[in-house]
Amino acid sequence: MMRVPVIAGVGMTRFASERLDCNARDLLAEAVLALLADTGMSDLKAVQHGLCSYESDHFNRQMTLAAILHDQIGLLPTPTVRVEGGGATGALALRTAWAYVQSGLCDSILVYGVETNGRGVSSQTANQLFALSADFDWEMMIGGTYTGFYAAMMRAHMQQFGTTPEQFAHVAVRNRRNAGFNPLAQKPMDITTADVLASRPVAEPYRLLDCSLLSDGAAVILLATEDWARANTPRFAQRPVVCFTATGCGTDTMRLGDRYPHITNFRAKRAAAQQAYQMAGITNPLDQIDVAELYDSYSGVEIQAVEDLGFVAEGTGGASIASGMFDLGGVLPVNTSGGLLGRGAPVGATGIAQAIEIALQLWGEADPRRQVAGARRGLTDTHAGIATISVVNIFERRD
Amino acid sequence: MPDVTSKKDVQNLPAVEGDVWADFRQVERLTLALTQSYTHTLGKYSRFFIELENRRFMATHCGGCGKVCAPPRPLCPECLKATNWIELPGTGTLETFSVLHFSPGSNADVAALPTPYIFAYVLLDGASTLFPHLLRAPLEQISLGMRVRVAFSDHPVEHPIHLMYFVPLE
Ligand SMILES: [Zn+2]
Repeated sequence: MMRVPVIAGVGMTRFASERLDCNARDLLAEAVLALLADTGMSDLKAVQHGLCSYESDHFNRQMTLAAILHDQIGLLPTPTVRVEGGGATGALALRTAWAYVQSGLCDSILVYGVETNGRGVSSQTANQLFALSADFDWEMMIGGTYTGFYAAMMRAHMQQFGTTPEQFAHVAVRNRRNAGFNPLAQKPMDITTADVLASRPVAEPYRLLDCSLLSDGAAVILLATEDWARANTPRFAQRPVVCFTATGCGTDTMRLGDRYPHITNFRAKRAAAQQAYQMAGITNPLDQIDVAELYDSYSGVEIQAVEDLGFVAEGTGGASIASGMFDLGGVLPVNTSGGLLGRGAPVGATGIAQAIEIALQLWGEADPRRQVAGARRGLTDTHAGIATISVVNIFERRD
Repeated sequence: MPDVTSKKDVQNLPAVEGDVWADFRQVERLTLALTQSYTHTLGKYSRFFIELENRRFMATHCGGCGKVCAPPRPLCPECLKATNWIELPGTGTLETFSVLHFSPGSNADVAALPTPYIFAYVLLDGASTLFPHLLRAPLEQISLGMRVRVAFSDHPVEHPIHLMYFVPLE
């Protein structure tokens, strides 16, 4: 029980569409310097393990990044390992680190995520590279794209439940507005539902402003046993203790069509949430979770997520979101960081950045304009593909 | 003077107050190319593509659970038994779709697609999964639940999946 990992410290870069001054190593260095400032440590020599989180050898144009990055941030000769799970990579990395600490393999582990998805390649090449994570012969070669797969799911959701573009535009507006309260966010925007509906169609029913960002960025979290954190991170005693209490993971078919007739929602996300809720003793997530970072790769995906995470009943996500219940000041504020739509999404760093937002919220250290008052329990929802791998992690303040 | 032959871009980024990287504000970027061609093996899925040349639409059938998969699955994920090929009539129902306004240019066939194009999921008669492919029809004629059929291409293609597509069933 005493091995439940605590968050000993966090660090991240500002996410950006392009960092002229940084390759992947430079981005990580910046995040690690932020971690040192956050923890009060002067180096990482006491850290017992590393865990490298990045998705794409193509985007980073560098293989064996775990070894290379490990060297860059002064962790030699401690062990490291790489975890990869598509869009869920960062959250899966944290989940893996949870098990490393719980098992006793190490008392502290630095989870470091980085990705250079920004402008290193054209958006057409980016789409081709992302499509390589789809089914090559049966989807990609036809001209399928992830935007298209998600869009087809949303059309089925609209058909079955009456969900509307105005409802998912609410997510596009709100998350970009929240990003304005986050100095590390990539693209805050002050827009209206009408702006979203007037933006150019990309893969109908999704339009440009329904789509999340390609980003450069890095994010790190230091997980440890409470004893290790107390002994090694000077600032730990000044903060409430935030524990990484529960984690769940689910999977689904790589092709949407193989899920027929269940093509409106994410089975993997339901499985992941169920496991995490059971581990955390949560029976009524809407009441028992105070703040959540949801995987808004497309605006409508947040509608599906609030249903599959059990916040609201299946089919009612659209109306619930449009009611404002998930906005700042609402019943359960989500994507207070700005989400993938506003904060940005350098893939290997995304799940880690989501957890950093939850840590800031539970510590009470978020910008006052986005701080959820009295937040004690937070959730991250992260997935790969069209929720082909889904990870739900739960963090709690203990005091 | 020696020079760099690839396209390069050198910039001096503005100094930022208190920047620990003040000594590293001169940055250079290069435009480099990475090209590759390779052998792509279709493996146990091959017969589907070969039969498209014969204008036949094939699926797999599992003798254990009876499930018919299109696209095919050589190994039934339910029973973990090897399946067998069957031919389907190629008619079906449109279950969902997206209208794509840009082409990812994944191959020559896709790069040649006029936009917007319709990425459709079809429940083929006799199958229990949805088959994704292009539906070639005017947008105003498309509606969920409409009947469609497999059509076969008369043109040479780069990837054999483009030997077929869907059209409305007249
Ligand atoms: Zn079977």
